[in-house]
Amino acid sequence: MRQTYGKLLPAVRMSDLGGKLIVIEGTDGVGRTTQINLLRPWLEELGHAVLDTGMTRSPLAGDGIRRAKEGNNLGRVTQTLFYATDFVDRLENEIVPALRAGFIVLTDRYVYSLMARAMVRGMDPEWVRSIFRVALKPDAVFYLRLGIEKLVPRVVFSRGFDYWESGMDLYPGYDMYDSFRAYQAALLAEFDRLSEEFKFETVDASGEPKKVFAQLKVKVQRVLGTDSSAVSVPMLKAAVGGRSGREISLPCAAEPGPEAVDFGRVEWPVAVAIAHTN
Amino acid sequence: MRIGPFEFVGPIPPAVSKPWKRSRDQFPGRLFVVEGIDGSGKSTQLSLLHKWLEAKGYGVVFSEWNSSPLVKDTTKLGKKKKLLTPATFSLIHATDFADRTERSILPLLKAGAAVLCDRYMYTAFARDVARGMDREWVRDLYGFAVPPTVAFYFRVPLETAIERLLDARDGFKFYEAGMDLDLSGDPEESFRLFQGRIINEYEKMIPEFGLTVIDATLPIEVQQARVRQIVTSHLANATELRVQP
Repeated sequence: MRQTYGKLLPAVRMSDLGGKLIVIEGTDGVGRTTQINLLRPWLEELGHAVLDTGMTRSPLAGDGIRRAKEGNNLGRVTQTLFYATDFVDRLENEIVPALRAGFIVLTDRYVYSLMARAMVRGMDPEWVRSIFRVALKPDAVFYLRLGIEKLVPRVVFSRGFDYWESGMDLYPGYDMYDSFRAYQAALLAEFDRLSEEFKFETVDASGEPKKVFAQLKVKVQRVLGTDSSAVSVPMLKAAVGGRSGREISLPCAAEPGPEAVDFGRVEWPVAVAIAHTN
Repeated sequence: MRIGPFEFVGPIPPAVSKPWKRSRDQFPGRLFVVEGIDGSGKSTQLSLLHKWLEAKGYGVVFSEWNSSPLVKDTTKLGKKKKLLTPATFSLIHATDFADRTERSILPLLKAGAAVLCDRYMYTAFARDVARGMDREWVRDLYGFAVPPTVAFYFRVPLETAIERLLDARDGFKFYEAGMDLDLSGDPEESFRLFQGRIINEYEKMIPEFGLTVIDATLPIEVQQARVRQIVTSHLANATELRVQP
C-alpha cells in the first residue's frame, strides 16, 4: 500500500492507489519543464495515461498565490503555508484520483522544493517537515542538478531574472544577479541535503536536453518495470469496457492524445472507484 | 561565492530573525485572545475590553479570525464553490493566521501594543480536529504562533448558543454548520452535532493550554468584570506597554 510521510488526510483513502508518482525536482532554470514536456508524449506513446501537475496550478490557491506575489508584503510563514495549501489541494483533487485511476503522475516539483524554499527563508526545519508529513511518498524523485556556475548563465540568457526566483525578498539591497546567485546557491545546498534524506536520484542536468532526456527515460523505465502497475490505456479500456461485478467510473475519458487530461474537480469524498489491475 | 565586492564561503544565511521557539510575554506588548463556539458572546466581551483598554490610554490593536487581506479572497472562493476539504480548510486558515501574525500581531507586540484577537489558534485546533484532521499535525502547523498572555474560553451550553444564534440571524452557513462532513442533511442538526464536537475539543484544551474559563451564561457585566480583573493583573508588570501620552 502506498504510504505518506507519517500523517494521513481524512479525505484521502490510501487503498487502491495504483499508478506511479514520479517527481521531477531541481532549482529554478534547471530544465524541469522541458523534460516533462518530453516525458509526457513519450509515456503516452507507450500507452500510459499521464497527468502532469506543478506548483500554483490548484484551482483553490493558485490565483491567490499569484496575486500575493505581485505585492511586496507576502511574509515567509504565510508564503510557506499558501504553497502548502496549493499542494494539498492538488494532492487531494488531482494526484490521488489520478493514481487511483492508474495514471502516471508527473509532477514538476513536489514538497521538497517547498521545503527548500521555506528553510532557505529561515523557517524551522522541524516545522517545515511536519506540514508535509501528509504528502504521499513518490515512486521516484529525479533531481535535475546543475552547479551554480552553469545555472546562472542558463537563466540569464534564456528568460532573465525574476524577483522571486532571485530571492529578492531575502537579499534586499543586492542587485538581481548577486541575489540570484546567493539564493540559488542556498537552495542548491538545501536540495543536496534533502537529496540524501529523501533518497533522490540525481540526474546531471548540464548536458543538452536530449541527453538529459535519454538518462531520464532509462530511469523512468526502471520505475515502471516490466510488470508495470501503472495502467496502460488499452488496459484501462478493457477495465472500463466491462469486467463484471465492479462499479467503475472514471472522471474523464482515458483516450491517448497530446492534450492534457483534465480531471476537473472531484467532489469530496472522492467518488472514483476503479478495478485495480495489480 | 561573490556578493558585490565581497567573497563568501558557502551560502549566505538570509538576514532574518527566526520566528520560532517563542515564550509567553517575551515581547513588551500583551496578547489577549477570546475563544468559544459561535453564540458564546466572546466578541461582545472582547469589544468591551477593547473600549476599556483604550479609555485607560493603552495602544490597542484588534485582529479577527479569517481577515487577512492577502488570503481572504482565496478562503471566500473555497467556501463559495465548496472546494475545501478538511485539510485545505485547515491550511488556508493557517495561512490567513500566518499573514496576520507576520504583518500585525508580532510587530505590534514588539512595539508594545495590547493586541486583542477574536479567535486564535485554538479555534483551528477545535474545528480542524472536529473535521477529522490529525490532532498533532494541526498543533504543529501553528508552531509559529505567539503564545497569548491570556486565552479566555467562553464556556456556554450548546442549546444556549443555538438559541442566541437563531434569534440573531436566519440560519447557519455551510462550513459553520459542518455541512461538509455529512453529519446531517438538516443545517440546524448538523450545526448541533458539529459544534458539539468542537466543544469537546475545547474542553480538552483547557488543561492542555491553560485556557482561562469564563462562564458565558452569567450576565455580561459580571463576565466583563472578571475579564478586566484578569487582564489588569497582567498589565501591572508590563512596564513597556505603550500608553498614549
